[in-house]
This record gives sequence, structure tokens and C-alpha cells, in this order.
Amino acid sequence: MPENPILESTALPRPLRLGVAGPVGVGKSSLIATVCRALADELAIGVITNDIYTDEDARFLRSAGVLEPDRIRAVETGACPHTAIRDDVTANLLAAEDLAADFAPLDLVIIESGGDNLTATFSPALVDAQIFVLDVAGGGDVARKGGPGIGRADLLVVNKTDLAPHVGVDVEQMVADAADAREGRAVIALSRSDETSVAALRAWLLGVLAAYRDGVHVAQDPGPMAPHFHADDDGGGILHSHADGDHTHAHSHG
Amino acid sequence: MALLLADARLPGGGHAHSASLEPALLGGLPAADVPAWMAGRATTVSLVEAGTAVVASRVLAAGPVAEDDGPAALAAVERAWAARTPSQALRDAARLLGRGYLRVARTLWSGHPAVVAVAGQAARHGSVPRAVVLGAVAAASGLTPADVVRLTVYDDAQTAASALLKLEPLDPLVTARWVLDACAAAEPHVPRVAACTTPESIPASGAPQTEGWAEAHALRTQRLFRA
Repeated sequence: MPENPILESTALPRPLRLGVAGPVGVGKSSLIATVCRALADELAIGVITNDIYTDEDARFLRSAGVLEPDRIRAVETGACPHTAIRDDVTANLLAAEDLAADFAPLDLVIIESGGDNLTATFSPALVDAQIFVLDVAGGGDVARKGGPGIGRADLLVVNKTDLAPHVGVDVEQMVADAADAREGRAVIALSRSDETSVAALRAWLLGVLAAYRDGVHVAQDPGPMAPHFHADDDGGGILHSHADGDHTHAHSHG
Repeated sequence: MALLLADARLPGGGHAHSASLEPALLGGLPAADVPAWMAGRATTVSLVEAGTAVVASRVLAAGPVAEDDGPAALAAVERAWAARTPSQALRDAARLLGRGYLRVARTLWSGHPAVVAVAGQAARHGSVPRAVVLGAVAAASGLTPADVVRLTVYDDAQTAASALLKLEPLDPLVTARWVLDACAAAEPHVPRVAACTTPESIPASGAPQTEGWAEAHALRTQRLFRA
């Protein structure tokens, strides 16, 4: 076991921790490979994957040849990928500390969530910034449906835009819907084969890193849940959001 | 205090562990044998963990652990635990849990000499196992030795029970019964283990099959749980 100083007591400078979340199959691993390819020459990067059943994502990234294999680590989530990035981030935090110690100095640790649903977002206790990923193949209406990641992640990526003509999705409309849902927060329509879109992603990330290093970046919490409605027995009910600090109420979200 | 520590919602990293259950099922243990296996753990490996935590707590409560023979005494407890835990995979998993638990301890009892001593030990010699960190928490919070033993047994049984629901289709209330039965099986041993004062007195009740399954599990690419 490597010597393991308590890294948390030395808060800075530690690498920027960037979360990548989004439903299964939207291209999170592929996006990470794209980021590594675009920035490998100027940044020292490590990656942590949170697969549900296997270390498939870690192996995909290792085989992509974008980073040394040892810089890509998989953590187990006990079949709870949502918990591992939100309610109990311990395993990911320890893996991030290990990467930072083993490959010091690192600039960036990217943490890929296990493909989960639209409500899964990272805790600010784990990441400094997060990207939420959708893809055009998931349907043009997903961005409009909203949710904490779509609405309030630092960046929303609409991925696989090259597939849009094949799945009958209007990319411009999907991005416009997303921009509405996000009240002006960043949106990038991405295809790994479209150099301009990759350059936009690269520039966004370097901007966040610069802000983080200047001490002006503040980790945002998209919130665990979208606003939702609770019916009561009288046919009425309340609409509320967990992002507004209203956490004391007597119902379970399972 | 024991209630807080026993609650799975306390974020210490435990949810990624199965208390050796996933390795056992993948190694061929029939699901029907899980209750007997849980009772077996409660009266063997859980008591090794519990005894380690009890002795660590006494060593840390005894004294100026930051000086002279303090670290040596703590290291002796850890050696005794390691000698009773032959599987490298299980020792690694316990040290990982120890790191997560130390985060909890450093946040909730920051500055307490027992927690500082264990954090220092971890910084100098690498991560300490969960049982030793639990000893520090017990010393810092005034948890009694008997509570430490019962907590350790319960936590192990409940961890396995929760993991089983992810691995086999089952009514969750069925496993709740098994947890109670496992704790009851350990109860006659509680006074003996709570009375441990030296590293030599820590129970040496191992489970070789569990050690073997843990080693095989660590080599798999498909698993839900760390160990």
C-alpha cells in the first residue's frame, strides 16, 4: 500500500475535479476520451470511472490509448451509482486523492458517473464542476423535460450531433430548448468528429480550470431533484424543489 | 453514538462493500446458506474486528499516544489484526474502509487526541484498518467496549444483508430477521471480547474459506462490491 498522507488537510493546490454525468449510452466515456485527446499535451489528467457492474468504462478508456492505463481507475459503487456521487462520495474522494498523490502534480481529475437517470448529479463535496451529457439519439424532447443536471450543471453537452439526421432530431431546436431550461448557462452541441465543437469544449474546460486556479470558481450544486409535485388526499398538493433548501418533509424519494 | 455509527446513511464509504458476501456467492455459497454464513461471521471474523477495535480503544484512551511507546502500541494492535486477517484483499478493503471512517472521525471529532493519533499513524505508515479507526472513535466518543463489539457485529451483518438484496431477489424483511439472528449468535461472546485489553487477547477466530473467496473476488472484472 502506498504511503498515504492525509491530502484533505492541504486543500490547494489539488487538481480540479470535474464530474461527467448523464444517462446510460449518451457517450460519457467517449466525451472523456475526446477531452483527454484534446488536452493531453497541456494538462496532466487522471480519470475515475463508476461503472455499475464491471470496469468496462475504465477498460474502454484504457484501450482508447488517450492516457497511461494507470491514470484510469475504476471504483465499485455497490450497485448504487447515484449514492457514490451524491450521498456518500467516500470511494470516489479516496480514489481522487490516490490519483493526485500517485501522479502529482495533476491538473485535472475527471470522474465519470455510472450511467444513471436524469436526476443523478454530483455533490459539490466531490467535484468542483460538472458536465451533464445528453445525446440526440435519446430524443429531441429530453432537454425540454429538464431536471437538475440539465437545468443547472455547469455545462450541458448535447452529444452525437452527427447522428441527428438519422434519428430525426432538430439539433438547433434541442439546443434552444436546453438553453431555455438553463437560463443562460453553457450548452455545447458536440460531435467528436466536429473539430469546432471539440474546440468549444476544450475552451470551456480551460476557462473553468483558470477560474479554479484563480480562486474565483465556486462549485455549484445542481440539486438532487427537479421540482416535483406531491398530491395530498384532498385532491390538492404542493409543488416544491429540493434545491431551495426545503429538505424537511415527510416523504421518501426511494 | 452507537446508533449514529450503525446507520448506513453515515457517509463512510461502506455502501460499496458487501462484508464478503459477494465473494462468497460468486465462490459458490448457496443463497439459502446465507443466514448460517452470517451467524458464522458474527461468531468468528466479526469478533476479530471487534476485539481489535476494543483493544485499540483502550490503547488510545490510556494515554499520551503521541509520545514514545504510543505509536508502537497502536502498531502492535494493527499487527495483531493483520496476523488474524491473512487475505491481502480483505486487509486492503479494511484499510480502504478505515480511510473512509477516518474522514468521518476527523470531521466529527477533530482534534481529539485519539483521532489525531490514528491520523498520525495513517500519515506515517499508510492507511489503518477500519477496526483501529473505530477504536479511536470509541475513545473519542466514550463508546463502551460492549457497544463497540455489538456495533461491529451488527454492522457486518447489516452490510451483508443489504448487499444480498442487490445480489439475490428477496424480501428485505427476511434479511432483517437474519441480522437479528446473527447478532443473537454473537451475544454470548460479547463480554469476553469486550474484556480484551492486549493485542494477544484479540480473538483469533478466522474463516479460511472467506479469505480464499476474497482473494478470488479481487481478481474479477465484474463485481458490484469492493469486497
